[in-house]
Amino acid sequence: MEKIRYENPIGESYIKAVLPSGLSVYIMEKPRYSSAYAVFGTKYGSIDTMFSKNGEEMITVPEGIAHFLEHKLFESEDGDAFTRYAQTGGYANAFTSFDRTCYLFSCSDRFYDNLEILLDFVQHPYFTEETVAKEQGIIGQEIRMYDDSPSWRVMFNMLDCMYHNHPVKIDIAGTVDSIAKIDAKLLYDCYDTFYNPSNMFICVVGNVDSEKVLKQIEASIIDKPPVTIERGEFSEPQGVVSNYVEQSLEVAMPMFCYGYKQKIGSPNRRLKSKVCASLLLELICGEASPLYARLIREGLINDEFGTEYFTGHGYAAVIFEGESTNPKRVAEEISKEIERIRVEGIDKKLLSAVRCGMYGDAIRRFNSVEGLAMQLIECAMTDSDLFEELKLLRSVTAEDVYKRLDLFDADNAVLSVIKPKTEEKTNGL
Amino acid sequence: MSVKLTSISNGVDGMFIENDRFNTTLISFNFYLPFLKESVANNALLPFVLTTCSEKYPDFSKLNYKLSKLYGARLEASCEKTGDFQLLKVSVSVINDFFAIDPENLVDEACSLLLSLVFEPKVINNAFCHEDLNREKRKAIEHIRSEISEKRIYAKNRLIEEMYKNDNYGVPKCGTEMDVNAITGESLYKAWVNMLKSAYTRVQVVSSVMPSGLFEQIRDKFSLLDRENITDCSKTLPTKPASKVNTITEKMEVAQGKLVMGFSSEVYGNSDSAIPLMVMTDIFGGGPYSRLFSNVREKMSLCYYCSASSVRAKGLLTVDSGVEAQNFEKAEKEILNQLDIVKKGEFSDFEFESSIKSLKDSLNTYNDSQASIDAWYSLRAFDKDVLSPEALADKLDFISRDDIVNTAKGVKLHTVYKLMPNKVQERK
Repeated sequence: MEKIRYENPIGESYIKAVLPSGLSVYIMEKPRYSSAYAVFGTKYGSIDTMFSKNGEEMITVPEGIAHFLEHKLFESEDGDAFTRYAQTGGYANAFTSFDRTCYLFSCSDRFYDNLEILLDFVQHPYFTEETVAKEQGIIGQEIRMYDDSPSWRVMFNMLDCMYHNHPVKIDIAGTVDSIAKIDAKLLYDCYDTFYNPSNMFICVVGNVDSEKVLKQIEASIIDKPPVTIERGEFSEPQGVVSNYVEQSLEVAMPMFCYGYKQKIGSPNRRLKSKVCASLLLELICGEASPLYARLIREGLINDEFGTEYFTGHGYAAVIFEGESTNPKRVAEEISKEIERIRVEGIDKKLLSAVRCGMYGDAIRRFNSVEGLAMQLIECAMTDSDLFEELKLLRSVTAEDVYKRLDLFDADNAVLSVIKPKTEEKTNGL
Repeated sequence: MSVKLTSISNGVDGMFIENDRFNTTLISFNFYLPFLKESVANNALLPFVLTTCSEKYPDFSKLNYKLSKLYGARLEASCEKTGDFQLLKVSVSVINDFFAIDPENLVDEACSLLLSLVFEPKVINNAFCHEDLNREKRKAIEHIRSEISEKRIYAKNRLIEEMYKNDNYGVPKCGTEMDVNAITGESLYKAWVNMLKSAYTRVQVVSSVMPSGLFEQIRDKFSLLDRENITDCSKTLPTKPASKVNTITEKMEVAQGKLVMGFSSEVYGNSDSAIPLMVMTDIFGGGPYSRLFSNVREKMSLCYYCSASSVRAKGLLTVDSGVEAQNFEKAEKEILNQLDIVKKGEFSDFEFESSIKSLKDSLNTYNDSQASIDAWYSLRAFDKDVLSPEALADKLDFISRDDIVNTAKGVKLHTVYKLMPNKVQERK
């Protein structure tokens, strides 16, 4: 087993171990905390709709199957994992995103019993036609709930306009029709491909003994021959499908998502480019920026406004989102500000302030056991070091940040708007 | 870890919650005022205006720049309804001095900043200035309007409005759009003066070290004010049972309907006697082991979520669920059936023990989050004794099955709110 310890000057450390089966394990001890948080994850999410295993034929599976599998994995022949967690008092949950599925628990007592449950149910799938049919009802309801969620719709409408072919445009839970095509055999096909230790990771943070955790994991991991996964290539043109999309829903305030699709050479982004992008976003419209002040003063945005550098395997975009009585004006102002910075250069005084702010945010993140576990998942997904960000925040230059203006190509911008059904509701402010 | 409560001034207490886990220090001002329809909106706007500008930082860009330079210090503003009182919170959290790249007194600076925001707002001629007021009013109104966007929250708030129609408690926590519109620079100034003079005030510090001289500085600030008629927060009126169950149905173009039910409980208040309500609610509709989750969701597949929660001070229990139009009747019937099962004591030992274990486990994690600790103590400011989350967890060991049954027997359906889809939406 390979094992590396990472340390940083603020006194935090963690270990990364790679087991012979290929499973990566990240453990960060926080002895002064009462609780611990553990995640067992696989690099498998909603975008993995086309794949082949060990050089076999490429197969296409129904949209939403990764999320469906997540729901089903909690069940086994003799009851479900929730019932087992109920006996320990641990809090358990799971989530599926574009590129990962994670099973987690948090607890302040009986950590090793909870870990045993997690290691066991994730490695023992049990799917029958009957249980699959039952889940179609529950997930159908979940999909319907998201149909009514404007914040969800505004984002997916944007992705749908941004991407021609990449499956990031597909709703994570799929559709009522797509999940109807899922059966037990398909679930096993997906499970056998992606739930192989060589494609998985475990992250543990909190009041634990890392040696004991490692031993327990080593003893419980079922040895399987590693798999070679080939993900389907989606030929994605550089341009977007359309620059504007709107939908009417029962909302009072219009909502928007304004994104710039990034041209990408290789499928994954480096941490330095993410840090520079985040700094640049703060300079463009962070709370200390001149644009933010102007947009607030003119009544164009409110506290819901935010930004994100959205990136994963084969996709990357910069997103501005919020509520506004005039989303088009907001998008115009953002794009003008980007052009202004392109011409006038980076405001060094502001950069020094936002750098300080982001450094403080990074220090603050070490407060949360859950937040750290989420960060370690990111490390596992991108094979990066948790402490790298702090170093980069001190070392990147104004020139590095300026270069990231290449993210913004006005031709590849998409504005997605959710409009109120009755326009009158937004008047009279 | 320890908690120390000291009296700072008349009706002003300081609480130092010592906790060495965090890289940050959190300081919060908590002002408690009666929750009254006529003053809710003015009071609720105060924390937001106070945290966006001040005499020293007249422009919020300057304030935000200062916060960035303080390594991303965070100012938070909130207003909450806690029993029959309104809690106005203004807080700052900042990384501890040790973590600054160059030596700096970050915590002291953050304390000074917070004091200047609370005690020295930007005021001209006894009125808040129009620009700041209008900006925050607009944001507040947009916030009120956007509530409709999240149907689950909207439906729950509508239930509370209907259930407490003739009661201050039914007023939304930040007031209505009309109330916010009526706020003037002068009325907000009066609310600020009233808050400083008459609100019961609790200053909480969560950190490894108490910032030196902070409580003394606060005492000096309050000594300049005539503190009088301090809010007596000891009593909240319980929810009266309904003489007849009221059902309200509204229609909206939504894909999924929402069914929310409100119940009155005979067990309520801020003492230990209300603890069984917490456990009973959890057995009924808390975790995955609960009656509602395992039956209404898992066995009957009637909804994606169906859960219960309670407000101890008010003796209020609510159930909320997302349901398809054709399943409303079935779901409502089954929710009441599950409540009857709890009333008859027909829940299993497994459900009972799981609930206690889960509640204890979660209470014992509170101290791992600075914001949770701060919220815990500020929402329990009226309790007779200062009770830590762990101390409450220990008390759960003394709750019996009989306590649950007796509590459930006093739970009575009061109001049902249904948000129905008015047509079947096309599926995408």
